Amino acid sequence: MAIIEVENLTKRYPLPDNKSESFFAVNGISFKIEEGEIYGILGPNGAGKTTTLEMLEGLNDIDDGTAFINGVDVKADPYKIKEIIGVQLQANQYFDNLSLVELLTLFGALYSREVNPEFLLGKVNLLDKAKAKPENLSGGQQQRFSIACALVNNPKVLFLDEPTTGLDPQAKRNLWDLVIELNETSMTIVLTTHNMEEAETLCERIAIMDHGKIVAEDTPQNLILKHAAEPPKAPLHGNIEDVFLALTGHALRD
Amino acid sequence: MSNKLQIHLAKVFLKIFLRDRQSIFFSLFFPIILMTVFGFGNIGEPEPFRMGVVNNSQNVLATEFIQLLDEDPIFTVSLGDEDSLRSDLIEGDQTLVLVIPENFDAQSAGADLRLLVDAAQVQQLGLIMPILEQSLISIEREFRNIEPMFYLILEDVKARSQRYLDFLLPGLMAFTLMQLSIAGSGFNIVEYRRKGILKRLFVTPIKPIDFITAIVLARLAIILLQLTVLILFAILILDVSIVGNFASFYFIVILGTFIFLCLGFCLGSLAKTQQAVMAVGNIVIFPQIFLSGIFYPIESMPELIQPIAQILPLSFVSTGMRDIANEGASLLAIGPSLIGIAVWFVIAFMLATRFFVWKEVAN
Repeated sequence: MAIIEVENLTKRYPLPDNKSESFFAVNGISFKIEEGEIYGILGPNGAGKTTTLEMLEGLNDIDDGTAFINGVDVKADPYKIKEIIGVQLQANQYFDNLSLVELLTLFGALYSREVNPEFLLGKVNLLDKAKAKPENLSGGQQQRFSIACALVNNPKVLFLDEPTTGLDPQAKRNLWDLVIELNETSMTIVLTTHNMEEAETLCERIAIMDHGKIVAEDTPQNLILKHAAEPPKAPLHGNIEDVFLALTGHALRD
Repeated sequence: MSNKLQIHLAKVFLKIFLRDRQSIFFSLFFPIILMTVFGFGNIGEPEPFRMGVVNNSQNVLATEFIQLLDEDPIFTVSLGDEDSLRSDLIEGDQTLVLVIPENFDAQSAGADLRLLVDAAQVQQLGLIMPILEQSLISIEREFRNIEPMFYLILEDVKARSQRYLDFLLPGLMAFTLMQLSIAGSGFNIVEYRRKGILKRLFVTPIKPIDFITAIVLARLAIILLQLTVLILFAILILDVSIVGNFASFYFIVILGTFIFLCLGFCLGSLAKTQQAVMAVGNIVIFPQIFLSGIFYPIESMPELIQPIAQILPLSFVSTGMRDIANEGASLLAIGPSLIGIAVWFVIAFMLATRFFVWKEVAN
């Protein structure tokens, strides 16, 4: 059963130099995401990935088309949607002067829920940082904490907007493990990325976006079969990241 | 009025604000310094005029006259010769120089006393001349042994003496609460937006009204705390007296804080950057510093400005606070101020809810 159904989703902005003309940030895209899937939206900067997520999250108005999450119309009942989704945004700063535990309790209160901060922190491997402030965490820890915040309402769908951008390889791989682990509890995960490897390793299906449109959508294997250029005669074994990891090890550097 | 979530959130914000000790302390710095300067410096009470006296007569009558002038608190008298006192006057070391002639005695009626003045001080002459004449008349009466026909007795109807600081304190409180409120809500909103916190909150089911109420409650608690520190400082250290009812005083404080917190929310919603909110905030704050009767009464302003000055929100708040603190007025007695405050309360609340649109402010 599809948990997310998007039809003809459109977001337009007036052009800055000509107000009567529109610029289509998202141009009539349609897709379905199955329950328990990890779905990746891939594309260069400005392709419309974040805008698409923001429309599904209720942060941005849907100008045209429809979106349903778990059978609920996003446009008609945004508050019902907010109850069942978890969101990690690109910007992940929080209130000053609050510890991780206090912030998680606060987020729980926003959903009128009692949460167990230690359990959530344990889930994202940050239990030893319970009393720390988010601004004192490393990049990877901050991303993991953002995900912990997104989990307070035990969401059906988790949206991750470029979760590994700016992370070192160790932190990146650690985050992938976390995503896979969450997915094993049958949580549906929608993520955007411009990291090809991330899309390939994590996602069951990928939509590639460019100029507000989905230019291709399939499993990573099928996409490679269909679109990838012929491999060179003598392919290099591995890539430079394998070299980097072999030399610096897999251990987290947080 | 407030639900469980609002209270819970308010407690969280209170924690956030209270942990920011630096800003709580430094926002009290300026008012405390100002009060101390006015409290100990006796600013606002007239300084005595420095009068140089050239005594060419040297008789008993002249000495008595000089002594009489010296006893008057309005003058500090120093004796000298005409040339040096004249140059003191030009340099501004003396306000005026009085030359007593040789024939200053009972025999020669109509001796001329010369008064040397600096033209720049000329408006003070109106104050000085009657005192000099009064002193001369009383000496003359004494000498000729005549009883005066009339006495003028001063009676203070307010029955209590008021220092400038007593006048200043309520205004300064009103000013401080305005600044703290506008900064407290406006700057916070802009900061939370810049950090993406508003966006993050927006994807949770919290309603904007819960968020605003929580911030208002928490800020209100902090501001009441800060103002209480100021009042205690004024009463205990500077010996300022508050005549009226404390509950009424705090009632006006709370209403005023609500007004300016709401206006702060408007500013924070309109201005997109910290710099912009400072600039827009100054447009609201600065005219009110000068026009709301904080440092001097509105009645002493130019006629043309008075009607505008009187309808500013800070005018109503500071006038209300002052009437209670200085005159001991009841809430009923300050009806006009209360009506003004109520009108501004409604305006500010409507503006805040109009401009603070979750989606627009968050993005």
